[in-house]
Amino acid sequence: MADPARIKVDDISERTTSATEEHQKSEDTEGVSATAPPAQENKDASSQDQLKQEDKPETATQEDEEEGTSGQSASKRLKVEPEKKKEKRHKVDEDEIQKMQVLVSSFSEEQLNRYEMYRRSAFPKAAIKRLIQSITGSSVSQNVVIAMSGISKVFAGEIVEEALDVCEKWGDTPPLQPKHMREAVRRLKSRDQIPNTKYKNILFH
Amino acid sequence: MAEDEDETGFEEELDDGSGGVDVGHGRRKRLFSKELRCMMYGFGDDQNPYTESVDILEDLVIEFITEMTHKAMSIGRQGRVQVEDIVFLIRKDPRKFARVKDLLTMNEELKRARKAFDEANYGS
Repeated sequence: MADPARIKVDDISERTTSATEEHQKSEDTEGVSATAPPAQENKDASSQDQLKQEDKPETATQEDEEEGTSGQSASKRLKVEPEKKKEKRHKVDEDEIQKMQVLVSSFSEEQLNRYEMYRRSAFPKAAIKRLIQSITGSSVSQNVVIAMSGISKVFAGEIVEEALDVCEKWGDTPPLQPKHMREAVRRLKSRDQIPNTKYKNILFH
Repeated sequence: MAEDEDETGFEEELDDGSGGVDVGHGRRKRLFSKELRCMMYGFGDDQNPYTESVDILEDLVIEFITEMTHKAMSIGRQGRVQVEDIVFLIRKDPRKFARVKDLLTMNEELKRARKAFDEANYGS
């Protein structure tokens, strides 16, 4: 019995020997922990995404079969997979780096200035550390400060971008005014992108 | 002007309408004025953003950091803020999550590079 499963197992061994990148990648996403995909998916091309989605339901059962029936090849495959995955991620990074270089080389001076400000601006680590420590009352590690200043910058960026959208929609011009900022905050709040623990939602009132 | 009224209205909102006597958030020294100006320019605003807008953004960022810190203190190890807690809180937001992962990976790489560099120096 278990014939359909057997057939699919043969299928998978064929695929691994042919060593096409797409299939490897779909198997990788099954084997690797959940934190990797979100970061990767941002960089993936859409065609690879489609292939990944097609293969996923098939490979889900196959992975289990493979590990059960032939332990050796599975462990060997597991060793090879991280390398291939690193290669692939390396390649995707290189593509992205090249594209960025082409883009930045064609910037006007004003755009270059703005891009430089975008990359270089950051919150002072000392002030953030002091702020967090004044709230917790105990000391915090350096990684916490790095993480917190990073997300705060992204947060500030989200607000400014939304405010610019509002500004354009209302037919105003750039220096952002407080009313744009406030409307941006209102919109982000309705999308739950602004944390708020002051008011509890009572579900059944 | 209508804008000025709106501005004080906003600050009162922050203090829960305490009558303007205790203007807590507004009176604190501005921590991030310079950096926020550069940041706003980088994100698309004018080269000289309005001071009121910078103030509003600073208040928002400080409130964000405060909320995150409080939430992080209440999960995981109580009373302490750890990186894992922050990563957990941010898990639903793809942009921030990716950014934190990148920053932490880069920090590890830099530390390793610096350590290797120092050892090389020590050897020679």
